[in-house]
Amino acid sequence: MHYGHALTFGTFLTPTATEPARVVSLATRSEELGFDLVSIQDHPYQPAHLDAWTLLTWLAGRTRRVTLAPNVLNLPLRDPAVLAGAASSLDRLSGGRLALALGAGAFWKAIGAMGGRTLSPGESVTALSEAIDIIRASWDVGDERPIRLNGEHYRVDGAARGPEPAHDVPLWLGAYKPRMLRLLGAKGDGWVVTHQLLRPGQLAEGNKLIDEAAVAAGRDPREIRRLLNVSGDFLGGPGEAWVDALLPLVVEDGVGTFILATDDTATLERFAGEVAPALREAVDRELPGTSLPPLRRAAVRARRREGIAYDDVPAALADAAIEPGDVGYAGVRSTYLRGGAPGLVLRPRTEEEVAEALAFARAHPRLPLSLRSGGHGISGRSTNDGGIVIDVSRLNSIEVVDPARRRVHIGPGARWADVAAALAPHGLALTSGDYGGVGVGGLATAGGLGFLAREHGLTIDHLRAVRMVLADGSVVRASDDENPELFWAVRGAGANFGVVTSFEFEADEVGDVGWARLVFDASDTAGLLHRWGATQEAAPRDVTSFLLVGPPRRGRPPVAHLMAMVDSADPETVLDRLRPFAEIGPLHDQSVVLTSYASVMANASPEAHNGHGEPVTRSAFAEHITPEFAADAERLLRSGAVYFFQIRAVGGAVADVPPDATAYAHRSANFSVTTFGVDRRRVDAEWDRLAGHLDGLYLSFETDPRPERLADAFPPATLRRLRELKATYDPGNVFRDNFNVTPERRSH
Amino acid sequence: MPDYGHDLLFGTFVTPSASPAHHAVDLAVAADRAGLDLVTFQDHPYQPRFHDTWTLMSYVASRTERIRLSGNVLSLPLRQPAVLARSAASLDLLSGGRVELGLGAGAFWDAIDAMGGRRLSPAQAVVALEEAIAIMRQIWAADQPGGVHVKGDYYAADGAKRGPAPAHDIGVWIGAYKPKMLALTGKTADGWLPSLPYLPGGPAVLGDLNERIDEAAASAGRSPSDIRRLLNINGRFGDTSTSLLNGPPDQWAEELAGLTLEHGITGFVLATDDEYTTELFAAEVAPATRELVAAERRG
Repeated sequence: MHYGHALTFGTFLTPTATEPARVVSLATRSEELGFDLVSIQDHPYQPAHLDAWTLLTWLAGRTRRVTLAPNVLNLPLRDPAVLAGAASSLDRLSGGRLALALGAGAFWKAIGAMGGRTLSPGESVTALSEAIDIIRASWDVGDERPIRLNGEHYRVDGAARGPEPAHDVPLWLGAYKPRMLRLLGAKGDGWVVTHQLLRPGQLAEGNKLIDEAAVAAGRDPREIRRLLNVSGDFLGGPGEAWVDALLPLVVEDGVGTFILATDDTATLERFAGEVAPALREAVDRELPGTSLPPLRRAAVRARRREGIAYDDVPAALADAAIEPGDVGYAGVRSTYLRGGAPGLVLRPRTEEEVAEALAFARAHPRLPLSLRSGGHGISGRSTNDGGIVIDVSRLNSIEVVDPARRRVHIGPGARWADVAAALAPHGLALTSGDYGGVGVGGLATAGGLGFLAREHGLTIDHLRAVRMVLADGSVVRASDDENPELFWAVRGAGANFGVVTSFEFEADEVGDVGWARLVFDASDTAGLLHRWGATQEAAPRDVTSFLLVGPPRRGRPPVAHLMAMVDSADPETVLDRLRPFAEIGPLHDQSVVLTSYASVMANASPEAHNGHGEPVTRSAFAEHITPEFAADAERLLRSGAVYFFQIRAVGGAVADVPPDATAYAHRSANFSVTTFGVDRRRVDAEWDRLAGHLDGLYLSFETDPRPERLADAFPPATLRRLRELKATYDPGNVFRDNFNVTPERRSH
Repeated sequence: MPDYGHDLLFGTFVTPSASPAHHAVDLAVAADRAGLDLVTFQDHPYQPRFHDTWTLMSYVASRTERIRLSGNVLSLPLRQPAVLARSAASLDLLSGGRVELGLGAGAFWDAIDAMGGRRLSPAQAVVALEEAIAIMRQIWAADQPGGVHVKGDYYAADGAKRGPAPAHDIGVWIGAYKPKMLALTGKTADGWLPSLPYLPGGPAVLGDLNERIDEAAASAGRSPSDIRRLLNINGRFGDTSTSLLNGPPDQWAEELAGLTLEHGITGFVLATDDEYTTELFAAEVAPATRELVAAERRG
């Protein structure tokens, strides 16, 4: 009998209250010696002991690697709903190192003396079962309904779920009697028993009951790890004798974890040095190749989506892959602006893993495939329903490789706030967008309209080379010298051509900058827009500003927010540049500071994305903000069809680059205009009326699905060139879940 | 009068955000490094955006060196008093005597009830708190004979063993505003821990509230100085003075020293989740306030 679990070893330490330092040092020694687990008994009525939960949490702060578990936690003196939250906290604080081993309770007289409730053994099993349901429900944050579980012993009625633990915390149970064993088979993830308390044959009998109950509950018995507490003086004699004694427990009884009960350092050392490695070898000899990757619980597998070969996920990606029933799914399913329900999120760490993930995705040609860096994409969808997401957020290195030449290598998963923070100590900055939470990959393959644009150009104008994985899985470098056509395409339409795994940038020297936020009364919206446009066009290149105009609010005049960056550390220059902007309309509020580009970018929330639905946006470029355009823009805002209207200044250095030098062709525009609304038809109807004032669009910000938008995004020559390249690099249109350039059809 | 003569404590009140997991820990470590005396956390077990406060405190204790820790305040209704007493003693032993026990009678009863906790009226909750404190104090008194015996209406212990004894005399600090809670504070607590923003009428009402505590202390045969007065404060540092605790650090120091000398406040707990503010409070406000108070006390 074997359950395919990799053999692990733990220690079982006495939490002696009079010598708190001793149990802590035994625990840290256990970790140093290579044990996988440190466990602590819990008898809250025992004054000679430290409280197990407090001690385990303390140990979490003093260890880095070992799993921590009570052995086992006394449920009757702990409230299950509070315990669930405490377990999440401990798991999060320890980086996913908690195993929650529970017992139904014993020593009822002592429990009663503490003020606890006294239950019969049968009642206590029912209570434990109810507690498990409460704990699992509390951790299941994917379900947004409040918890309602009214049991005989515990009642939770309307409590909120969460926080979510850092990993799928295994629920182990201490169980000896049939009722407990059946509960374990139905609901537990591990069986913890003490060897000395078992009679011969009891392990096999227990396994049988557990396995039957597991199968009856639709589970796989291999989901349940078997853990055995063994006493440090279990055997005297040499290490081989231990191995001989423990081996049959693995081979015949399926024990996957031995937990050594001792408070003697020498015994710990001997076990780690002599017994554990020899036993591992002996098990490998006796049971070659039976160790399986961790099996997800049946309840998790039940949430899998159709058509995905979950069991074929490459081993390198399996550990970090997130599927719908997994812990962490709620945090990766959606993006900043879009709700999603992907069937699988793969999170490669290396270029090789990106290629493997892509190969896996290509084996599912009918499913949507989304690429995600920071998850802020508007046209770049980066989530889907039932498909595969390749999330490169863990390729997030930022390396200043040559400060003198300002060369910087950045992974696609890095966020612009982190890039800015990493470059600042070198006196460098890379212009990005207006939000630090945006990922590098999406923005740096589209354009990058940021606060330093007029002085230093687009983000893509700083790109010197990329490494990328193409649709066929090959890895190429593209620069002006290598694959120059691909390099051209990546700078403006990159998401159509592959997954960039590393960007090589040339950053700019940027010191402190002036940073202003001005708030205007926008009652005269058209006038304000026009005056701002004229002021911005007349301004020197070192000032770039974005204007955000809100729609009129009930009974109150509309308000406009101007954000402006002046690339100068000289206060006089900063004020000189800003003065004309302050005069474009009645000022409600203003703030001007000298600060760093990094601190302006440090504006991102650390919260997981929780978008819902689909963003409804339009984008366009304008050469000038003419009075006519301004008047029509005011009409748009008053129509009620849009809730967000932003114009970003471009031009300046952006226009120094010839339109055919990159796939981003709209070099002559001075302004990029974006709006968000709710109703697709209304937004399109209102926006289309502005067409006469506008030209082209920024593909990152456009979600209109009508095919003519492609011609707005790319002038004819650019589009022709892109479609030919697409036919070469991605003829099957693998990379389509974005602002898609369809491949040129080739006749053979 | 009342300056009760205690040495001054300065601390922070840190939001126990569960995400990012180490945010609160990092802020507590910053407070420790900055030399503050105390770091405290609110406790709302029904709030999923927050860490479990006891678990967070235990973890923070293991990652810090000198700073003392307290709940601010722990929600009693969802914590078993006998277990809490042993947990507190355990953490006090592990941390070398750095734990204080800020306690509240409970609020947000709907949320407590939804978690499976018992719903009490405010008056009942005060009685329950008194019973819980009695249980906890008996557990800590490990050198006393016999078991723990408290036969309360809401909490009972009947022969539970005493111990372990904490490493130091753990202070029971109570968040109290209303007459019954203030009376309980005077009768049995080691500290009073209200929040300035919750005081109707601001610092001016401290005198009345102190008097109620002092009277209750006297009727229980205690000295008013047995109860340390702490205060949760909010404020902002700025170049110019705009209002109470809104201005430069020397303004803060004068205002806080005033609160010590006029109202006997000797623990200032600043609500902040900002490292820079924490450092400024420790480096500029705390020493200046101590100096002003010391000078005045010397007369």
